[in-house]
Amino acid sequence: MKTKFLRTLSLALVAIAAFGSVPARAAKVRVVATLTDLADFAREIGGDRVDVYSLATGIEDTHGVPMKPSFVPVLNRADLLLLVGFGCEHAFLPALLEASKNPHIQYGQPGYVDCAQGIVPLEVPKSTDHSEGDVHPYGNPHYMLDPVLAKTAIQTIYNALVGAAPQYRADFTRNRDAYLKKLDAKIAEWEQALKPVHGLKFVSYHNHWPYFASRFGLEYFGTIELKPLVDPTPRHIEELISAMKAEHVPIVVREPQFPEKVPSLIARQTGATLVKLPIMPGGVPHTGTYIEEIDYIVHTLIAAAPK
Amino acid sequence: MKIRLIGLCLGLSAFSLIAQEAIDAEKLNKQLKQLQETFEKQQAEMKANFEKLVREQQSQIDALKKQLEASTNAPPGAAGRPGAGIAGGAVTPEQLRELNEKVAAVVQAQTKTRFSYRSKGSDLTGSDRPGGFDVFQRSIELNVAGSVDPFAKGYAVINATAESATGEATLGVEEAALQTTALPWNLELKAGRFFGEFGRLGYIHDHELPFVNRPLVLDQYIGGESKTDGAQVNWLLPVAHYISLSLGAGDQFGDDPNNPGTFRHFSELNFFGRLSTYFDLRPDWQIEGGISGLLNPKAEDRGGALLQPNGVTTFTERERRLAGLDFKLSYVPLLNNQFRGFTWGTELLYSNNRYRVDPDGIPSTGDEFNDHVGSFGLYSYATYKWTRQWSGGFLFDWVQNAQNNHDQTFAYSPYITWALSHWNQLRLQYTHTDHNAASGLHPDDAIYLQWAWIIGSHAHGWQQR
Repeated sequence: MKTKFLRTLSLALVAIAAFGSVPARAAKVRVVATLTDLADFAREIGGDRVDVYSLATGIEDTHGVPMKPSFVPVLNRADLLLLVGFGCEHAFLPALLEASKNPHIQYGQPGYVDCAQGIVPLEVPKSTDHSEGDVHPYGNPHYMLDPVLAKTAIQTIYNALVGAAPQYRADFTRNRDAYLKKLDAKIAEWEQALKPVHGLKFVSYHNHWPYFASRFGLEYFGTIELKPLVDPTPRHIEELISAMKAEHVPIVVREPQFPEKVPSLIARQTGATLVKLPIMPGGVPHTGTYIEEIDYIVHTLIAAAPK
Repeated sequence: MKIRLIGLCLGLSAFSLIAQEAIDAEKLNKQLKQLQETFEKQQAEMKANFEKLVREQQSQIDALKKQLEASTNAPPGAAGRPGAGIAGGAVTPEQLRELNEKVAAVVQAQTKTRFSYRSKGSDLTGSDRPGGFDVFQRSIELNVAGSVDPFAKGYAVINATAESATGEATLGVEEAALQTTALPWNLELKAGRFFGEFGRLGYIHDHELPFVNRPLVLDQYIGGESKTDGAQVNWLLPVAHYISLSLGAGDQFGDDPNNPGTFRHFSELNFFGRLSTYFDLRPDWQIEGGISGLLNPKAEDRGGALLQPNGVTTFTERERRLAGLDFKLSYVPLLNNQFRGFTWGTELLYSNNRYRVDPDGIPSTGDEFNDHVGSFGLYSYATYKWTRQWSGGFLFDWVQNAQNNHDQTFAYSPYITWALSHWNQLRLQYTHTDHNAASGLHPDDAIYLQWAWIIGSHAHGWQQR
């Protein structure tokens, strides 16, 4: 009985190994993106030549995508892995990558596509000491909220797709050019729309917005978190409120991933307007694409700015 | 005459005019020449300045191009590193990042201190810690990890724990293993000293447990953490659904080593394995389950002759068989899992060891016999997180003594955790332990306050998810 069971089990395992271990190369490039903005770009450039899977759905915190074992088989079969980089995915990606057992998408391999390539980071810390909170040693990773820098990521994704499937270069080039044209037009529109509110001051829960503020001439006044990933203390909240009152900061941004209680309290006590802004496509309804997301952010801020 | 005079005057005037014009033209010529010279001089200066500016800009462009090439054409080991194209300075972000990376990879220390009060002494509870007030520097760990080469990574966990009897810290290597990173066919090999895969919490370090103490069944049936000196192969089945299979062999499993003896046969090794899978019930709800097994066909006196509660009889382990069933149901809200969460984890173990029983405890008197003892044990816990800083839960323990299944222990432990930050947490736990009459031990109440902290990089491994 025992022997029969062992024999059957062995045969089953051998069969799986023989027929399943080397998945046939699909005609489409299998792309896994950590976050939804990268997935959106990959779909725009790749068109119907790619299958794109995003680990995040859009509503997650960029640092808090759950490590679901169901991601492992997807990563195992991926041709390309797109990541934001600058340590943005440090909480979940290294372990998932190890579990994926896919040598093509490991760090340093062509399938490991770090979209931060060529981007000059802001806020590179001098130390990773935890007294500064959960700082990113490579600099602030939220550059994707600057659409001009996003164009660099788009180019990186294009290069990776061409490298993975050179036979589709013409398609990818046409799609990229068309998308960049559309994005450039939107960037001009966003810059124009935000001109009247140049210098607009705002605070947010997490340190997501330095690149966005820098691009559009806004003043990023501070964060509700004491330090990255460290909840605010009563003293910090008090000091922030005083400073906001003194400097007439009119907007409090809450990213959907963070609780409303403290931002709401700060907004009430300072007379500021509380707005909820997504940090990637899908973060709030009707922001399914990158352009829709930035559109939403720009118009929400303009609507909340003092008239 | 008059006409001549007028003509002469006119002629003179004309001459003087012509002469004057000649003088003016000369002046103008001079001025023009000066102007031209000035203009040419300024033009030359402007040209020089412009050329200088162009040269400077060109050199900047060239430098940037070189940096861009360096960042895009970097060797595989450096490919994909962001920010490599940043212009000079005393310390570039790239250099800083590499330094950070090195520091983060090498230094990671964690420690766990337990303050407790137990209502009964260790003679009545069977604990290895004294009753009453006790401060136990439970562990100080130093973790080192990094790539060995493109094909493997290595890691070591050095641990110092206070000796129960003396209070002195003893330093030991808890783990030191090599793990392949580039094997084909979804395989991964680990070799050295490591925590072998069995169940869910057996291979989790103490400081990562969701409660203060290791569940009784893991302590008693496995012997604490599932430490082994051996090798383990993990295979991710190449199917669209997550199924993972680990198989390993080692010369011990748990804290108590086999008697090394003089010659170790193949059958004296410990063979272990786990098959696990996972399902997304809903985007926010997940369930994960596994079955595990451990077999040591010829246990060589693991733990020595174990004295029974009657004070005479001894049991010596001759064969070790252990099976486990585990599952974890989790609520991990996609939107705000840093602030909300729920976990229900349960593990059921069945131990069916064979012992050499010596009723009078005196060897070779002829009364010894072999006996298989089948015992069950389980733990089940539920933890709810309601803010980023606060979580609480309840742990239930039940275990039958592996040598005497009539001897049972129950424990009930509510606990609450305050995570001041990701690296600094306090946990308060109350535990009521009940022993039945067969054990000869007494019920016991204990309060624990545990302070655990981490310095250095703290990456979440796959097993700790």
